[in-house]
Amino acid sequence: MTRTVLSISLALWLMALMLPPGADAVTAITGMMRSQSGQPLPGLVLLEKGEIHNNRWDRGALVDASGRFRIELAEGGQYGLHAYSSGYIYKPNAVRVETGATLEVEVVLVPEPTRANDPVIKRVEFVPSETRKGKATIIKLEVSDPNGDLGPQVLAFNAAAGRAFAMAPPRWVWSLKSNYPDGVYQLEVDVSNAPTEPRDWHFVVADHKCNTTDILSFPHEPKPPQVIRP
Amino acid sequence: MIRSIAPGLIAVVWAGQALAGAPGGSLGQLIAEGEQRWTRSPDPRNPVACATCHHDPDETRGWAASFPKYRPLPPPEGRVMTLLQANAEAVRRHYGLADAERAALAITAYLTWRGAGVPVSPGIVSGQPVFDGRLRALAESVGRGEWLYARRCQSCHDPGAVAPAALRFPRAANGQVESLEGFLGRHRPDLPSPGRDGQPTADVIAFLMSRLAGRPVGGAP
Repeated sequence: MTRTVLSISLALWLMALMLPPGADAVTAITGMMRSQSGQPLPGLVLLEKGEIHNNRWDRGALVDASGRFRIELAEGGQYGLHAYSSGYIYKPNAVRVETGATLEVEVVLVPEPTRANDPVIKRVEFVPSETRKGKATIIKLEVSDPNGDLGPQVLAFNAAAGRAFAMAPPRWVWSLKSNYPDGVYQLEVDVSNAPTEPRDWHFVVADHKCNTTDILSFPHEPKPPQVIRP
Repeated sequence: MIRSIAPGLIAVVWAGQALAGAPGGSLGQLIAEGEQRWTRSPDPRNPVACATCHHDPDETRGWAASFPKYRPLPPPEGRVMTLLQANAEAVRRHYGLADAERAALAITAYLTWRGAGVPVSPGIVSGQPVFDGRLRALAESVGRGEWLYARRCQSCHDPGAVAPAALRFPRAANGQVESLEGFLGRHRPDLPSPGRDGQPTADVIAFLMSRLAGRPVGGAP
Protein backbone atom coordinates (compact mmCIF):
# COMPACT_ATOMS: atom_id res chain seq x y z
CA MET A 1 0.00 0.00 0.00
CA THR A 2 2.72 2.41 1.05
CA ARG A 3 4.72 1.49 -2.05
CA THR A 4 1.69 2.18 -4.26
CA VAL A 5 1.09 5.59 -2.71
CA LEU A 6 4.78 6.44 -3.04
CA SER A 7 4.83 5.32 -6.68
CA ILE A 8 1.78 7.41 -7.55
CA SER A 9 3.24 10.41 -5.73
CA LEU A 10 6.51 10.02 -7.57
CA ALA A 11 4.73 9.72 -10.91
CA LEU A 12 2.68 12.87 -10.24
CA TRP A 13 5.78 14.75 -9.18
CA LEU A 14 7.60 13.71 -12.36
CA MET A 15 4.61 14.75 -14.47
CA ALA A 16 4.57 18.13 -12.75
CA LEU A 17 8.27 18.57 -13.56
CA MET A 18 7.53 17.91 -17.25
CA LEU A 19 5.06 20.80 -17.45
CA PRO A 20 6.52 24.04 -18.85
CA PRO A 21 7.22 26.76 -16.31
CA GLY A 22 4.16 28.89 -15.70
CA ALA A 23 1.78 26.28 -17.10
CA ASP A 24 -0.36 26.57 -14.00
CA ALA A 25 -0.41 30.38 -14.20
CA VAL A 26 -3.38 32.22 -15.65
CA THR A 27 -3.18 33.50 -19.21
CA ALA A 28 -5.03 36.79 -19.49
CA ILE A 29 -5.40 40.15 -21.15
CA THR A 30 -6.16 43.05 -18.86
CA GLY A 31 -6.31 46.69 -19.64
CA MET A 32 -7.74 50.12 -19.58
CA MET A 33 -10.04 51.78 -22.08
CA ARG A 34 -10.19 55.54 -22.19
CA SER A 35 -10.85 58.53 -24.41
CA GLN A 36 -8.11 60.76 -25.83
CA SER A 37 -8.67 63.14 -22.93
CA GLY A 38 -8.02 60.32 -20.50
CA GLN A 39 -11.60 59.74 -19.41
CA PRO A 40 -12.23 56.05 -18.57
CA LEU A 41 -14.76 54.47 -20.91
CA PRO A 42 -17.11 51.58 -20.21
CA GLY A 43 -17.95 49.14 -22.98
CA LEU A 44 -16.93 45.82 -24.44
CA VAL A 45 -13.73 44.12 -25.53
CA LEU A 46 -14.05 41.11 -27.80
CA LEU A 47 -11.35 38.79 -29.09
CA GLU A 48 -10.77 37.00 -32.34
CA LYS A 49 -8.53 34.00 -31.89
CA GLY A 50 -5.61 34.02 -34.34
CA GLU A 51 -4.97 36.72 -36.92
CA ILE A 52 -7.04 39.84 -36.52
CA HIS A 53 -10.08 40.23 -38.82
CA ASN A 54 -10.40 36.45 -39.28
CA ASN A 55 -13.93 36.62 -37.79
CA ARG A 56 -13.25 33.69 -35.43
CA TRP A 57 -14.66 35.21 -32.27
CA ASP A 58 -13.62 33.74 -28.98
CA ARG A 59 -13.60 35.35 -25.55
CA GLY A 60 -14.67 38.80 -24.39
CA ALA A 61 -15.41 40.95 -21.38
CA LEU A 62 -17.42 43.91 -20.26
CA VAL A 63 -15.40 47.02 -19.53
CA ASP A 64 -16.45 48.56 -16.24
CA ALA A 65 -17.15 52.22 -15.48
CA SER A 66 -13.53 52.76 -14.46
CA GLY A 67 -12.42 51.59 -17.91
CA ARG A 68 -10.88 48.34 -16.63
CA PHE A 69 -11.28 44.92 -18.21
CA ARG A 70 -9.88 41.44 -17.84
CA ILE A 71 -10.20 38.44 -20.15
CA GLU A 72 -8.90 35.05 -19.07
CA LEU A 73 -7.79 32.79 -21.90
CA ALA A 74 -7.48 29.06 -22.34
CA GLU A 75 -4.11 29.52 -24.04
CA GLY A 76 -1.65 32.10 -25.20
CA GLY A 77 -1.10 33.09 -28.80
CA GLN A 78 -2.17 35.69 -31.29
CA TYR A 79 -5.50 37.46 -30.84
CA GLY A 80 -7.41 40.32 -32.42
CA LEU A 81 -8.59 42.61 -29.64
CA HIS A 82 -11.58 44.79 -30.57
CA ALA A 83 -12.67 47.54 -28.20
CA TYR A 84 -16.11 49.16 -28.24
CA SER A 85 -17.72 52.00 -26.34
CA SER A 86 -20.99 53.68 -27.25
CA GLY A 87 -20.41 56.81 -29.31
CA TYR A 88 -16.82 55.89 -30.19
CA ILE A 89 -15.21 54.38 -33.29
CA TYR A 90 -14.30 50.83 -32.44
CA LYS A 91 -10.60 50.03 -32.25
CA PRO A 92 -8.99 46.81 -33.55
CA ASN A 93 -5.61 45.83 -32.22
CA ALA A 94 -3.51 42.71 -32.90
CA VAL A 95 -1.95 41.36 -29.71
CA ARG A 96 0.12 38.39 -28.65
CA VAL A 97 -0.22 36.82 -25.23
CA GLU A 98 2.30 34.40 -23.78
CA THR A 99 0.86 31.33 -22.11
CA GLY A 100 0.86 31.79 -18.34
CA ALA A 101 1.34 35.54 -18.61
CA THR A 102 -0.94 38.56 -18.34
CA LEU A 103 -0.79 41.10 -21.12
CA GLU A 104 -1.62 44.66 -20.08
CA VAL A 105 -2.97 46.88 -22.84
CA GLU A 106 -4.25 50.41 -23.04
CA VAL A 107 -6.91 51.30 -25.58
CA VAL A 108 -7.67 54.87 -26.61
CA LEU A 109 -10.93 55.46 -28.47
CA VAL A 110 -11.96 58.39 -30.63
CA PRO A 111 -15.55 59.67 -30.68
CA GLU A 112 -17.53 59.29 -33.88
CA PRO A 113 -17.87 62.75 -35.47
CA THR A 114 -21.31 61.82 -36.79
CA ARG A 115 -23.69 58.97 -36.12
CA ALA A 116 -25.42 59.34 -39.49
CA ASN A 117 -23.32 56.56 -41.03
CA ASP A 118 -23.68 54.09 -38.20
CA PRO A 119 -25.39 50.75 -38.63
CA VAL A 120 -28.69 50.54 -36.78
CA ILE A 121 -29.91 47.73 -34.54
CA LYS A 122 -33.65 47.91 -34.89
CA ARG A 123 -34.82 44.99 -32.80
CA VAL A 124 -33.67 42.02 -30.71
CA GLU A 125 -35.71 38.88 -30.17
CA PHE A 126 -35.13 35.66 -28.25
CA VAL A 127 -37.32 32.90 -29.70
CA PRO A 128 -37.45 29.13 -29.18
CA SER A 129 -35.97 27.13 -32.02
CA GLU A 130 -38.59 25.53 -34.28
CA THR A 131 -36.34 22.62 -35.18
CA ARG A 132 -34.70 22.01 -31.79
CA LYS A 133 -37.62 22.62 -29.47
CA GLY A 134 -36.50 22.97 -25.86
CA LYS A 135 -32.87 22.58 -26.84
CA ALA A 136 -32.06 25.82 -28.60
CA THR A 137 -33.00 29.49 -28.53
CA ILE A 138 -32.61 31.66 -31.61
CA ILE A 139 -31.44 35.21 -31.04
CA LYS A 140 -32.59 37.47 -33.85
CA LEU A 141 -31.06 40.88 -34.45
CA GLU A 142 -32.58 43.13 -37.09
CA VAL A 143 -29.84 45.32 -38.53
CA SER A 144 -29.62 47.93 -41.27
CA ASP A 145 -26.90 50.21 -42.53
CA PRO A 146 -27.52 53.60 -44.15
CA ASN A 147 -24.52 53.20 -46.50
CA GLY A 148 -24.97 49.53 -47.35
CA ASP A 149 -21.47 48.64 -46.19
CA LEU A 150 -22.12 46.38 -43.27
CA GLY A 151 -19.29 43.98 -42.48
CA PRO A 152 -19.13 40.68 -40.63
CA GLN A 153 -19.06 42.41 -37.25
CA VAL A 154 -22.64 41.76 -36.23
CA LEU A 155 -21.66 40.56 -32.80
CA ALA A 156 -23.30 39.08 -29.77
CA PHE A 157 -21.56 38.76 -26.43
CA ASN A 158 -22.67 36.58 -23.54
CA ALA A 159 -21.25 38.13 -20.39
CA ALA A 160 -22.06 35.10 -18.21
CA ALA A 161 -20.06 32.78 -20.43
CA GLY A 162 -17.51 35.39 -21.52
CA ARG A 163 -18.07 34.33 -25.14
CA ALA A 164 -18.36 36.42 -28.28
CA PHE A 165 -20.14 35.31 -31.44
CA ALA A 166 -20.55 36.56 -35.01
CA MET A 167 -24.20 36.31 -35.92
CA ALA A 168 -25.22 34.58 -39.15
CA PRO A 169 -26.31 36.94 -41.95
CA PRO A 170 -29.78 36.61 -43.51
CA ARG A 171 -28.26 35.30 -46.73
CA TRP A 172 -24.99 33.85 -47.94
CA VAL A 173 -22.18 36.37 -48.29
CA TRP A 174 -19.34 35.93 -50.76
CA SER A 175 -16.44 36.95 -48.51
CA LEU A 176 -15.64 38.76 -45.28
CA LYS A 177 -14.86 41.88 -47.30
CA SER A 178 -18.24 41.83 -49.03
CA ASN A 179 -20.92 44.26 -48.02
CA TYR A 180 -23.21 42.32 -45.72
CA PRO A 181 -26.97 42.64 -46.23
CA ASP A 182 -29.49 44.43 -44.09
CA GLY A 183 -31.95 42.10 -42.41
CA VAL A 184 -32.30 39.69 -39.51
CA TYR A 185 -29.06 38.16 -38.25
CA GLN A 186 -29.36 35.03 -36.14
CA LEU A 187 -27.49 33.09 -33.50
CA GLU A 188 -28.55 29.67 -32.25
CA VAL A 189 -27.84 29.18 -28.56
CA ASP A 190 -27.79 25.72 -26.99
CA VAL A 191 -30.15 25.71 -23.99
CA SER A 192 -30.35 21.94 -23.50
CA ASN A 193 -28.53 22.22 -20.16
CA ALA A 194 -29.73 25.61 -18.96
CA PRO A 195 -31.84 28.43 -20.36
CA THR A 196 -30.08 31.51 -21.60
CA GLU A 197 -30.74 34.80 -19.82
CA PRO A 198 -31.44 37.74 -22.14
CA ARG A 199 -29.88 40.10 -19.62
CA ASP A 200 -26.50 38.38 -20.18
CA TRP A 201 -26.48 39.33 -23.85
CA HIS A 202 -24.93 42.46 -25.35
CA PHE A 203 -24.84 43.40 -29.04
CA VAL A 204 -22.69 45.65 -31.19
CA VAL A 205 -22.40 46.13 -34.94
CA ALA A 206 -19.64 47.80 -36.98
CA ASP A 207 -19.46 48.39 -40.72
CA HIS A 208 -16.49 48.15 -43.07
CA LYS A 209 -15.58 51.78 -42.35
CA CYS A 210 -15.53 51.22 -38.57
CA ASN A 211 -18.79 53.11 -37.97
CA THR A 212 -20.14 51.44 -34.86
CA THR A 213 -23.51 51.16 -33.16
CA ASP A 214 -23.98 51.84 -29.50
CA ILE A 215 -23.63 48.71 -27.40
CA LEU A 216 -27.13 47.36 -26.93
CA SER A 217 -27.56 45.77 -23.51
CA PHE A 218 -30.59 44.47 -21.65
CA PRO A 219 -33.48 45.34 -21.99
CA HIS A 220 -32.31 45.64 -25.61
CA GLU A 221 -34.34 48.70 -26.45
CA PRO A 222 -32.46 50.76 -29.05
CA LYS A 223 -32.15 54.49 -28.41
CA PRO A 224 -31.14 57.26 -30.83
CA PRO A 225 -27.35 57.49 -30.89
CA GLN A 226 -25.68 60.62 -29.57
CA VAL A 227 -22.55 62.38 -30.80
CA ILE A 228 -20.00 62.67 -28.03
CA ARG A 229 -18.14 65.95 -28.04
CA PRO A 230 -14.47 65.44 -27.25
CA MET B 1 -1.85 77.74 -42.51
CA ILE B 2 1.63 77.06 -41.18
CA ARG B 3 0.66 73.42 -40.76
CA SER B 4 -0.21 73.27 -44.45
CA ILE B 5 2.91 74.96 -45.70
CA ALA B 6 5.44 73.31 -43.41
CA PRO B 7 5.36 69.83 -44.94
CA GLY B 8 5.78 71.29 -48.39
CA LEU B 9 8.77 73.42 -47.43
CA ILE B 10 10.44 70.65 -45.49
CA ALA B 11 9.75 68.23 -48.30
CA VAL B 12 11.49 70.51 -50.78
CA VAL B 13 14.61 70.37 -48.63
CA TRP B 14 14.28 66.62 -48.16
CA ALA B 15 13.62 66.08 -51.82
CA GLY B 16 16.59 68.20 -52.73
CA GLN B 17 18.77 65.92 -50.65
CA ALA B 18 17.25 62.63 -51.66
CA LEU B 19 16.29 63.30 -55.25
CA ALA B 20 19.13 65.03 -56.97
CA GLY B 21 17.94 66.72 -60.13
CA ALA B 22 14.22 66.13 -59.52
CA PRO B 23 11.78 69.03 -59.37
CA GLY B 24 11.40 68.99 -55.59
CA GLY B 25 8.43 71.36 -55.61
CA SER B 26 6.14 68.80 -57.13
CA LEU B 27 7.12 66.23 -54.54
CA GLY B 28 6.56 68.87 -51.89
CA GLN B 29 3.09 69.47 -53.29
CA LEU B 30 2.43 65.75 -53.22
CA ILE B 31 3.47 65.56 -49.57
CA ALA B 32 1.28 68.53 -48.72
CA GLU B 33 -1.60 66.88 -50.57
CA GLY B 34 -0.86 63.72 -48.64
CA GLU B 35 -1.10 65.54 -45.35
CA GLN B 36 -4.44 66.97 -46.41
CA ARG B 37 -5.71 63.52 -47.42
CA TRP B 38 -4.41 62.08 -44.16
CA THR B 39 -6.10 64.65 -41.95
CA ARG B 40 -9.30 65.44 -43.85
CA SER B 41 -11.87 63.16 -45.40
CA PRO B 42 -12.94 64.13 -48.92
CA ASP B 43 -16.49 63.10 -48.05
CA PRO B 44 -18.28 65.73 -45.93
CA ARG B 45 -20.94 63.16 -45.05
CA ASN B 46 -18.31 60.87 -43.55
CA PRO B 47 -15.70 63.07 -41.87
CA VAL B 48 -13.61 60.20 -40.49
CA ALA B 49 -10.10 60.66 -41.90
CA CYS B 50 -6.97 58.52 -41.56
CA ALA B 51 -5.76 60.75 -38.73
CA THR B 52 -9.03 60.37 -36.83
CA CYS B 53 -8.08 56.84 -35.79
CA HIS B 54 -4.32 56.95 -36.44
CA HIS B 55 -3.82 60.09 -34.40
CA ASP B 56 -0.65 59.10 -32.58
CA PRO B 57 2.35 60.47 -34.52
CA ASP B 58 4.68 58.06 -32.74
CA GLU B 59 2.58 55.15 -33.96
CA THR B 60 2.59 56.19 -37.61
CA ARG B 61 6.15 57.49 -37.91
CA GLY B 62 7.51 53.96 -38.23
CA TRP B 63 5.03 52.80 -40.86
CA ALA B 64 7.03 53.67 -43.98
CA ALA B 65 10.06 51.82 -42.64
CA SER B 66 8.01 48.71 -41.87
CA PHE B 67 6.71 48.07 -45.39
CA PRO B 68 6.36 45.83 -47.31
CA LYS B 69 4.64 43.77 -44.67
CA TYR B 70 1.72 41.44 -44.16
CA ARG B 71 -1.56 43.35 -44.01
CA PRO B 72 -4.10 41.37 -41.97
CA LEU B 73 -7.18 41.95 -44.08
CA PRO B 74 -10.13 39.59 -43.74
CA PRO B 75 -9.18 36.22 -45.24
CA PRO B 76 -8.40 35.48 -48.00
CA GLU B 77 -7.46 39.11 -48.70
CA GLY B 78 -4.59 39.33 -46.22
CA ARG B 79 -1.24 39.47 -47.99
CA VAL B 80 2.11 41.21 -48.11
CA MET B 81 1.63 44.73 -49.42
CA THR B 82 3.70 47.79 -50.06
CA LEU B 83 2.79 50.98 -48.22
CA LEU B 84 1.22 52.36 -51.41
CA GLN B 85 -0.88 49.23 -51.88
CA ALA B 86 -2.01 49.29 -48.26
CA ASN B 87 -2.90 52.96 -48.55
CA ALA B 88 -4.80 52.36 -51.79
CA GLU B 89 -6.84 49.63 -50.11
CA ALA B 90 -7.61 51.87 -47.14
CA VAL B 91 -8.44 54.89 -49.31
CA ARG B 92 -10.80 52.85 -51.49
CA ARG B 93 -12.54 51.44 -48.42
CA HIS B 94 -12.74 54.52 -46.23
CA TYR B 95 -12.84 57.43 -48.67
CA GLY B 96 -14.61 55.78 -51.58
CA LEU B 97 -12.60 57.84 -54.08
CA ALA B 98 -12.84 57.13 -57.79
CA ASP B 99 -9.10 57.83 -58.12
CA ALA B 100 -7.68 56.00 -55.13
CA GLU B 101 -4.22 55.83 -56.68
CA ARG B 102 -3.47 59.55 -56.56
CA ALA B 103 -4.66 59.86 -52.95
CA ALA B 104 -2.76 56.73 -51.96
CA LEU B 105 0.41 58.04 -53.60
CA ALA B 106 0.05 61.37 -51.80
CA ILE B 107 -0.50 59.69 -48.44
CA THR B 108 2.46 57.39 -49.13
CA ALA B 109 4.66 60.40 -49.86
CA TYR B 110 3.44 62.10 -46.67
CA LEU B 111 4.06 59.04 -44.48
CA THR B 112 7.45 58.47 -46.10
CA TRP B 113 8.35 62.08 -45.38
CA ARG B 114 7.09 61.65 -41.82
CA GLY B 115 9.21 58.51 -41.42
CA ALA B 116 12.40 59.94 -42.91
CA GLY B 117 15.40 58.71 -41.00
CA VAL B 118 13.70 55.72 -39.39
CA PRO B 119 15.75 52.57 -40.11
CA VAL B 120 14.16 50.26 -42.69
CA SER B 121 12.71 47.21 -40.91
CA PRO B 122 10.29 45.33 -43.18
CA GLY B 123 7.52 43.63 -41.21
CA ILE B 124 8.43 45.22 -37.91
CA VAL B 125 7.12 48.39 -36.29
CA SER B 126 8.97 49.55 -33.22
CA GLY B 127 6.88 49.01 -30.10
CA GLN B 128 4.42 46.70 -31.84
CA PRO B 129 4.24 42.92 -31.33
CA VAL B 130 5.84 40.70 -33.96
CA PHE B 131 3.85 37.76 -35.29
CA ASP B 132 5.59 34.69 -36.67
CA GLY B 133 2.93 34.04 -39.30
CA ARG B 134 3.26 37.53 -40.71
CA LEU B 135 7.06 37.28 -40.84
CA ARG B 136 6.76 33.91 -42.59
CA ALA B 137 4.46 35.47 -45.18
CA LEU B 138 6.97 38.28 -45.68
CA ALA B 139 9.87 35.81 -46.03
CA GLU B 140 7.89 33.93 -48.68
CA SER B 141 7.21 37.21 -50.46
CA VAL B 142 10.92 38.05 -50.41
CA GLY B 143 11.66 34.60 -51.88
CA ARG B 144 9.15 35.11 -54.69
CA GLY B 145 10.53 38.59 -55.28
CA GLU B 146 14.09 37.26 -55.59
CA TRP B 147 12.89 34.72 -58.15
CA LEU B 148 11.06 37.42 -60.13
CA TYR B 149 13.98 39.80 -59.91
CA ALA B 150 16.36 37.14 -61.24
CA ARG B 151 14.12 36.62 -64.26
CA ARG B 152 13.04 40.17 -65.04
CA CYS B 153 15.72 42.50 -63.77
CA GLN B 154 19.03 40.89 -62.94
CA SER B 155 20.38 40.68 -66.49
CA CYS B 156 20.75 44.47 -66.43
CA HIS B 157 20.68 45.43 -62.73
CA ASP B 158 22.70 43.93 -59.92
CA PRO B 159 20.30 43.87 -56.96
CA GLY B 160 22.94 45.15 -54.56
CA ALA B 161 23.49 48.20 -56.71
CA VAL B 162 19.86 48.91 -57.56
CA ALA B 163 18.14 48.19 -54.23
CA PRO B 164 19.10 51.52 -52.58
CA ALA B 165 17.27 53.37 -55.36
CA ALA B 166 14.03 51.99 -53.90
CA LEU B 167 14.48 54.48 -51.06
CA ARG B 168 14.15 57.37 -53.51
CA PHE B 169 10.44 56.73 -54.06
CA PRO B 170 7.93 58.27 -54.26
CA ARG B 171 9.91 60.58 -56.47
CA ALA B 172 9.40 63.44 -58.86
CA ALA B 173 10.89 63.22 -62.33
CA ASN B 174 10.18 65.26 -65.43
CA GLY B 175 7.50 67.15 -63.58
CA GLN B 176 5.67 63.95 -62.67
CA VAL B 177 5.43 62.25 -59.32
CA GLU B 178 5.88 58.52 -59.39
CA SER B 179 5.70 55.55 -57.09
CA LEU B 180 8.15 52.66 -57.14
CA GLU B 181 5.20 50.44 -58.01
CA GLY B 182 4.41 52.62 -61.03
CA PHE B 183 8.04 52.70 -62.11
CA LEU B 184 8.33 48.92 -61.97
CA GLY B 185 5.10 48.60 -63.93
CA ARG B 186 6.33 50.62 -66.88
CA HIS B 187 10.06 49.87 -66.78
CA ARG B 188 9.87 46.78 -68.98
CA PRO B 189 7.21 47.49 -71.60
CA ASP B 190 8.30 44.33 -73.41
CA LEU B 191 7.05 42.21 -70.50
CA PRO B 192 3.57 41.96 -68.98
CA SER B 193 3.22 44.53 -66.19
CA PRO B 194 3.21 43.01 -62.71
CA GLY B 195 0.47 45.53 -61.81
CA ARG B 196 0.88 48.34 -59.32
CA ASP B 197 -1.55 46.71 -56.98
CA GLY B 198 -0.36 43.19 -57.62
CA GLN B 199 1.41 40.66 -55.47
CA PRO B 200 4.40 40.33 -57.87
CA THR B 201 5.13 44.04 -57.44
CA ALA B 202 4.96 43.74 -53.66
CA ASP B 203 7.23 40.68 -53.86
CA VAL B 204 9.93 42.41 -55.90
CA ILE B 205 9.83 45.43 -53.57
CA ALA B 206 9.94 43.12 -50.53
CA PHE B 207 13.06 41.53 -52.00
CA LEU B 208 14.71 44.90 -52.62
CA MET B 209 13.79 46.27 -49.20
CA SER B 210 15.05 43.12 -47.47
CA ARG B 211 18.51 44.17 -48.64
CA LEU B 212 18.14 47.60 -47.07
CA ALA B 213 17.34 46.73 -43.47
CA GLY B 214 18.82 49.30 -41.15
CA ARG B 215 19.21 52.04 -43.76
CA PRO B 216 17.22 55.21 -43.10
CA VAL B 217 13.96 55.83 -44.94
CA GLY B 218 14.35 58.66 -47.41
CA GLY B 219 18.11 58.31 -47.38
CA ALA B 220 20.05 59.16 -50.49
CA PRO B 221 21.50 56.07 -52.19
